[in-house]
Amino acid sequence: MRKGTFVRWGVPIAAAAVIGAAIGAGPVVAAVSGDPALPERSAQQLLADAVAAVERTDGPLPMSGTVRQTASLGLPALPQMGGESPLALLSGSHEVKVWYGAQDRLRVAMPTHMNETNLIVNGDEAWYWDSDGNTATKIKIKAGAGWAHEPATPAPTPSDLTPQAAAAKVLAKAEEHTAIGVTNTAEVAGRPAYQLVLRPKAEASLVQEVRLALDGETYVPLRVQVYAKGSAEPAFEVGFTQVTFTPPAEENFVFTPPAGAKVEEQTLGEVISDGKAGEHTGEHTGDAKAAKDLKVVGEGWSGVVVAPMPDLGSLPAEAPGGQGDPAEAKALLDNVLKSATPVSGTWGSGKLITTKLVTVLLTDDGRLLAGAVTPEEIVRVAGTR
Amino acid sequence: MSTAETRTRTTPGLVPVPETSRATERRPPEPPAGAVPPRRSSSAFWRLLGSELGLTFRRPRNLVMLGVLAGVPVVMGVALRLVAADAELGGIVTSVAGNSLMLTFASLSFLVVLLMPVAVAMVAGDAIAGEAGTGTLRYLLAAPAGRTRLLAVKYLNAVVFSFAVTAVVALSALVTGLIMFPVGPVTLLSGTTVPVAEGLLRILISVGYVGAGMAALAAVALALSTFTEVSIGAVAGTMVIVIVSQVLRAIPQFDGLADYLLPARWTGFDGALRSPIDTGAMAEGLLTFGAYIVLSGSVAWARFSGKDITS
Repeated sequence: MRKGTFVRWGVPIAAAAVIGAAIGAGPVVAAVSGDPALPERSAQQLLADAVAAVERTDGPLPMSGTVRQTASLGLPALPQMGGESPLALLSGSHEVKVWYGAQDRLRVAMPTHMNETNLIVNGDEAWYWDSDGNTATKIKIKAGAGWAHEPATPAPTPSDLTPQAAAAKVLAKAEEHTAIGVTNTAEVAGRPAYQLVLRPKAEASLVQEVRLALDGETYVPLRVQVYAKGSAEPAFEVGFTQVTFTPPAEENFVFTPPAGAKVEEQTLGEVISDGKAGEHTGEHTGDAKAAKDLKVVGEGWSGVVVAPMPDLGSLPAEAPGGQGDPAEAKALLDNVLKSATPVSGTWGSGKLITTKLVTVLLTDDGRLLAGAVTPEEIVRVAGTR
Repeated sequence: MSTAETRTRTTPGLVPVPETSRATERRPPEPPAGAVPPRRSSSAFWRLLGSELGLTFRRPRNLVMLGVLAGVPVVMGVALRLVAADAELGGIVTSVAGNSLMLTFASLSFLVVLLMPVAVAMVAGDAIAGEAGTGTLRYLLAAPAGRTRLLAVKYLNAVVFSFAVTAVVALSALVTGLIMFPVGPVTLLSGTTVPVAEGLLRILISVGYVGAGMAALAAVALALSTFTEVSIGAVAGTMVIVIVSQVLRAIPQFDGLADYLLPARWTGFDGALRSPIDTGAMAEGLLTFGAYIVLSGSVAWARFSGKDITS
């Protein structure tokens, strides 16, 4: 009887073991099978290969996949917000699906429970569909609006999550302030990948390192991770969890507003020409106006942006895209301000907001300082007018 | 088999209680189930299953539960019809008002959270514990049908009920929707429009998916049911698991855990409402259900095949 009991209970234990193994199989298999066989490359070779690959195929290859974005910036708990709000991207993790056909054919979908937000770009026509509001927004792109060379940038929220866009931003920073290394053992979405490791040289930087994974075969950026100093988990991560390099089905890029939906129109070219000051087409128009008063102290990773304090209502959201509901932004801001620590020095006094990656100082004399630097550094910058 | 084990009983606390006359009276249609011919044939299995299904679908409380489940979509339909008159409500309200088929998805997403799990837990949690509680379990086991077979019959019965619950909700919502709202091409969450026939197909996919999810819950309830002789204990235990899962799901810090929780997966049927159908997420959901069924089923088997049947 006793023995029988052990044998019997062995069955559920075995079942649990099998299920546990299936869940943990990915990392375990990766660890056991060892390094994916990619030839070694230096950072320069890798970047050159990547550029060559992009030039050869005239832009990234057609692909589709699922992108997961995770942010744990150490912000205070955010109030409950709608799933598709850009501000919601500042905490937790989000998934978007990407279909990329060519330079001007792109679909980005953000599925949430019983809802979906879609951005569909096809030629010079773009649609933004929000199933919750039952609204379809037609975004017209004026010719010569800089769309062709940067398809993802002017798009609303979800598209800023594509690894391509994020990687481009990281690559732009990789210069003399950074120590660059390459590993050939990474694996992203089941594909062997090169990993470009960028380590800021500046002491004051809050960023430990930025890891950029490039597909071993196609050199398409598959993942970007930003590690803050003193934490083992990435503070910000965006990358493919599943990817295939086959041209997506044509119907993904065709959008006809469904019957009964509200249809709105918006011309993107006008928006851009309004804000000529912005160098990047994707900049928020509010940002562009404020750009005149913007000043950057320090270089590279330890750069600190000094700006006159905007009035609280129109404070540009930190979120990518930054087209959030003002009420939400206000709620977030109130929440953040509550957790701010007062600091003072010879330069005066202010409120300090620290997150894992960004430090913000609001001085009482109406300046706003922000940078990916330690609080000490930002206070020092506040002192040097 | 059961008498032999009763003699070698070692578990304290399990006191053989003489069957009360009340206990036998509670389940009058029992004799046919117990009177399975002593032949180990598949026909006996199906006969046992048939009699179990008959009992389940004739039991008043189950019928009341199914009736309530069928009533909710009707209430929702009426409410949405009234609300839709003043419009300006986004999301699901607009889509339901615009298309009859959407009421099915709205009802499923509303009921799958709590009410459908209650109905399934009531039947599956009662499966073994109920028999033990009313003292009829030993009669069931008197027939040399074998415990494993009895457990399989009980589980299949619960699975059929799970799918019945889902189908009742879907059908009631479909009929209500067809009566109250215009029929026409269905607008999916992705903004694409599909013809009615494909809309119906997608309803069918959703029903299959949610039914599988409920069947996974039935396995959990059945496992709990083998640990107690009080069926309300198993039912309540199952509901506690469901509610705790819902709570865990709502806490952002447990984000990574959500993928492994049943309630988080139940709502995954909305993958059928996207274009293209989100097969990846739905397949993951089905795998999760399968894992729950295998794990709970083996626990139930290990417990039940070695259990002392004292009542």
